[in-house]
Amino acid sequence: MASSLFWYVREFFRAEWIRKFLFARTAPLVTPPHFRGFPEPTGRTCQHALFCMMACPAPGAIEVVHAGDGWMPKIHKGHCIRCGLCVEACPNGVLKSGRILETMEREGTSLIFSFRIAIDLELCTGCGNCCTACPVNKEADAQMGAGGHSSNDEVIMRVQDGDIVVIHEDKCTGCKTCEASCPNGAIRIARILEGSQEPVPEGVQ
Amino acid sequence: MKRVVDVNIPLGPIHPCFKEPARLKCEAKGERIIGVEVELGYMKKGIERIMKGRPWQEVMFLAERVCGICSVIHNLVFIEAMEQISGIAVPPRAARLRVIANELDRMQSHLLANFSYCYTIEHETLGMYLLDLREQVMDELERLTGARVTCAYIIPGGVRCDLRKEEAAALLASLERMEGDLRRYTGMFENGPMIALRSRGVGILTPDAAERAHAVGPTARASGIAVDCRMNHPTYRQLGFAPVTRPDRDNFARVMVRFDEVFQSIGLIRKCLTDLPNGVVRGRGVCTAGEVRYSGEAPRGELTYFIRSDEFGRIVEIQIQTPSIMNIEACCHEMIIGSDSIADVTATFISADPCIACTER
Amino acid sequence: MSLLQRIKNKVRARSIHVAYVDVGSCNGCDIEVLACLAPRYDIEQYGIYVHNNPREADVLLVIGAYTPGWEEKLAMVWEKIPSPKAAIAIGNCPISGCLFNRRETFIDPPVRKHIPIAAEVPGCPPRPTEILQAILSVRDSVFFNWEAEHP
Ligand code: SF4
Ligand code: SF4
Ligand code: SF4
Repeated sequence: MASSLFWYVREFFRAEWIRKFLFARTAPLVTPPHFRGFPEPTGRTCQHALFCMMACPAPGAIEVVHAGDGWMPKIHKGHCIRCGLCVEACPNGVLKSGRILETMEREGTSLIFSFRIAIDLELCTGCGNCCTACPVNKEADAQMGAGGHSSNDEVIMRVQDGDIVVIHEDKCTGCKTCEASCPNGAIRIARILEGSQEPVPEGVQ
Repeated sequence: MKRVVDVNIPLGPIHPCFKEPARLKCEAKGERIIGVEVELGYMKKGIERIMKGRPWQEVMFLAERVCGICSVIHNLVFIEAMEQISGIAVPPRAARLRVIANELDRMQSHLLANFSYCYTIEHETLGMYLLDLREQVMDELERLTGARVTCAYIIPGGVRCDLRKEEAAALLASLERMEGDLRRYTGMFENGPMIALRSRGVGILTPDAAERAHAVGPTARASGIAVDCRMNHPTYRQLGFAPVTRPDRDNFARVMVRFDEVFQSIGLIRKCLTDLPNGVVRGRGVCTAGEVRYSGEAPRGELTYFIRSDEFGRIVEIQIQTPSIMNIEACCHEMIIGSDSIADVTATFISADPCIACTER
Repeated sequence: MSLLQRIKNKVRARSIHVAYVDVGSCNGCDIEVLACLAPRYDIEQYGIYVHNNPREADVLLVIGAYTPGWEEKLAMVWEKIPSPKAAIAIGNCPISGCLFNRRETFIDPPVRKHIPIAAEVPGCPPRPTEILQAILSVRDSVFFNWEAEHP
């Protein structure tokens, strides 16, 4: 008992405690500047790379919509988890959230996307739907017919002798249009995200 | 032999003392508790099923949301497992920053657990002191990572952002302040005779029983068993880590182990900050195919991820083993049995720091 | 406005009793609600008391994404609350199901389908200050002049 009393009496007679007791005021309920809030536009032009949508882990959180004569990402509150991946994935710095953009620029960090095409040849029937659906193919070879045949070497993939062949995997923009068009679920796009940082100059840290 | 049960008392799923829904069905003979069953199933979301077929950038966030209280460790264990699969090296500075984030998270989790315990035994003053201290830890975590809970700080090959020089100084200063405050609060807990009446000798978990129930984390360490996965972690080994144990095996010991570990965490963060290596915080590396079983020490005990991934680093198979299920088992089948009153049931249950969200996922 | 109503408004504004129910969250929002109790935010200075007992509550904070275990039970909890009452959805989980709302999941969001929701606080998890503001906003929008608007 006595020791307990001692601890409490000691606690209540500390100068700091008395000061707090007499002049108690709730701390102002402010949000610190480094808190990652909902992403906001910085005012730079959106290039419609859609990397933000691809990086976003939350279903239905971000959408790139028409704004005036350009594009702009739109955040849906209630879906967005404020993770800030869209800010890091955007190559143009269109979004900002807390200090993320500023740190990225200072430390030279970024998230890099690369896309890989995997085709299950067991499932693929060589119908060519994916080749015609692909927007990059359309750009490269506007003449590509329904069978996915093309004589153009600039296309991402084409059908040769009844089999699908991927020529330029590096041109893939990760849009997954082909996945949706494949009747057998044979083609799958992997969106690979990789962190990177430029070397830190001497004496900065 | 027929068991004589006078009353069946269900506690929960909504109970003022429980943070999360679980139902304890207690069988009492007079005032004495002779059996407890826990009924779960209020939180099952099927996280492991959702994770399948997704790349790390989505699974990482799902892993964090297995448990919102100790989110950093889930982030850490998942990412380190992926790094082991893919052979991604972590820059030394990033490894230290991970330890800092992890230890800050452990501090806030332990303080929250001890707050819950104090609140359950109706010692609100101390509970509020601890909750206030926890807010200061949350501030530090927020300054480091940018978010209070579910920080998403650790990514394959490093961390999301660096710790600046002035931030490191501020962190050191507030560690100093927190340590002083915590020393006083620990003293209040240790020397309070009323607290001792509710805690000492209540909810005994003998080392044998702990082993039978596979208790882990502070619950096992309070029974004198020195298990801690941090002993096997390379960065922690560099820091000279040794687990905290206590021999006295009761509620009091479990709370005190957590207090001791907060002090230990403060020490570890200090060590990390004093010789923080220079360099980048983010290496490069792509996740690939492989299979691994990887464990880390969560605030509540050993956390294991079993992962199999395909050639593009997408999850094919994942199993998560969280610590709370073993501790809840130890709690229901060993610690609570023989309690002298129903009031001790909630206190004992909370003292094992059960986390229903990660148990059920 | 009658005198009685005025007294009721005055009293109600300073005595909001809160219960929270976790219908399958990750705990992140749970502990942020708990953090509101901390001296930093000091929820009681606004006349808000957390009791976690539905029978004496005015405001129900719903946390989590509605797992099958809560079917019928949540509606039961809601019915136990005496009027006037309001439910607030805390976090993304009750609003949209957060990250868990994918195929293969067990949850059944949004909670709006199951009980009426008066206010929503987006964020995963929302900050304690945002939770505080939401509770204060339903105080003004739901409890003010309740009798006059619900004859
Ligand atoms: S902050 Fe995260 S959840 Fe929100 S839109 Fe960006 S990537 Fe999606
Ligand atoms: S759409 Fe599918 S089946 Fe058709 S060629 Fe492409 S991958 Fe093969
Ligand atoms: S909204 Fe986010 S933090 Fe809150 S319970 Fe859901 S997943 Fe957890």
